[in-house]
Amino acid sequence: MSAEAVAATAAKTNGWEPKIVAFCCNWCSYGGADSAGMGRFQQPASARIIRVMCSGRIDPLHVFNAFLEGADAVLVTGCHIGDCHYVNGNDKTKIKYKYLENVVHELGIEKERLQLNWISASEGEKFANFIRDVTEQIKKLGPSPLKPEGVA
Amino acid sequence: MQKGEMYVGWSTKEDVRKRGGSGGLVTSMLAAALEKKLVDAVVVLKKINEFEAVPIITSDVNEVLNSAGSLHSVPSHFAKLIANRNLKVALPAKGCDVRGIIEQGKRNAINLDNTFIVGLNCGGSMHPVVTREMLEVMYKIKPEDVHGEEIEKGKLIFETKDGKEHAITIDELEEKGYGRRESCRYCTIKIPNNSDIACGNWGVTGDLVGKATFVEINSEKGGRLLQNAIDAGYVQLQKPDEKGVAMRAKIKGVMEDLGKKWKAKVFVPIDNGRLEYFMKELEHCIDCGACKTVCPTCSCGEVSKCTQYHSRGDAYKMSMYHLVRFLHLSDACIGCGQCSDVCPVDIPLTRLYRRFANPVQEQLKYGPGMDMRKPPYFEVKLNE
Repeated sequence: MSAEAVAATAAKTNGWEPKIVAFCCNWCSYGGADSAGMGRFQQPASARIIRVMCSGRIDPLHVFNAFLEGADAVLVTGCHIGDCHYVNGNDKTKIKYKYLENVVHELGIEKERLQLNWISASEGEKFANFIRDVTEQIKKLGPSPLKPEGVA
Repeated sequence: MQKGEMYVGWSTKEDVRKRGGSGGLVTSMLAAALEKKLVDAVVVLKKINEFEAVPIITSDVNEVLNSAGSLHSVPSHFAKLIANRNLKVALPAKGCDVRGIIEQGKRNAINLDNTFIVGLNCGGSMHPVVTREMLEVMYKIKPEDVHGEEIEKGKLIFETKDGKEHAITIDELEEKGYGRRESCRYCTIKIPNNSDIACGNWGVTGDLVGKATFVEINSEKGGRLLQNAIDAGYVQLQKPDEKGVAMRAKIKGVMEDLGKKWKAKVFVPIDNGRLEYFMKELEHCIDCGACKTVCPTCSCGEVSKCTQYHSRGDAYKMSMYHLVRFLHLSDACIGCGQCSDVCPVDIPLTRLYRRFANPVQEQLKYGPGMDMRKPPYFEVKLNE
């Protein structure tokens, strides 16, 4: 990136907070988010958590909709493989995510904007770190190219 | 007759043998299946003129026998025609037709046990409108004067009614944007081994060139179909010579390599501005839904995710309809090219769908329509 481009991005992102949509499963990663708060781990206020019963419920359509409505990043989180409350919901997520990742990447959206992570209910620190890392990455990238006009 | 056996055969009916392409074996086989009640109906192309033909489902043996002979420029797809009809049917099918039929079979829209698929070797088909334009621009002949068409040694030859032959190499035509449809150029399914019986003129040698068809039996059903035609006295067979078998394999290899070359040429990776590229290609979309209607692997019907979550009034930068289609087709697209053909605003949809489908289908080693394997998503077992 040239010096002007860096300056332009800096001006654009000055004081700008990314909007991150995080899909969390009821049994693990939502619990993880809970224990992150309970354990007082510092994390930026950029994530909007959407609770679903299982990560297998996350239809790629929800992710597309989040992007189209102006999300700067979408996180798909669930139980560790083998720990799914519904036996194999996250195995299905894994395959579905492969296709979703391929579409989002081929579309020309940076791969940092869509991330998958397995977080258990006790891993509060991991959840907080994850949100912090993603926020950092997205701040560098700037607003999503799919953000509609007039949405902050 | 066993799976894997190969024969060279022709029709015993003089009239059909003369009129039909390559000895009229396929036509006779379909007619025999109908006559001996192996099937209730047969799908054939009814010719309108040299450039157009409509597929019809018929139970009339004479109509089947009269259908023999049509040009390459008929890219209609049979999978959706017989879907959800519960027919006991036999039908001829190009490589992509076969894949579409198998995909519909997986979606329970076609009962494959009752469907006899006669696969046809296919080097590509041509769009009727493009062909007409090509005849005027490249060949300088009137489309109405065309009487016959042939492909020989890499040349596309048109015969006019006054008996003259006009030949131009296919490479030259395709460089100018005419010739085969784009999806056919990079297709690598030249001999449909996923069908019940694969037929074609590749591998026919000696005196029989142009008068016989090379068949390979791919399943028990295909063997039954051919045996039935012999028992009914419709076809004659002989063993192919080794030269013929080798020649067929060689042509297949050459065509597939050509397909791979085209694939590399069409799908140039776009490093920057991919999103702009897709937005630009899709900006003229008028939401007619024709691409979904013709898609041979889509069986959602009227109420589907791609249409229900899409609204013309959305101020989104990409249409939800296309995003959902991109995703759903990345494990289902068979590359038949119908969506590009029907698009009223000429969006190169097949090229876009294949961009998404190619990497992930290669990565997961899953080719839709090649066998009865279910998409990877459905392979997740309960005890894993």
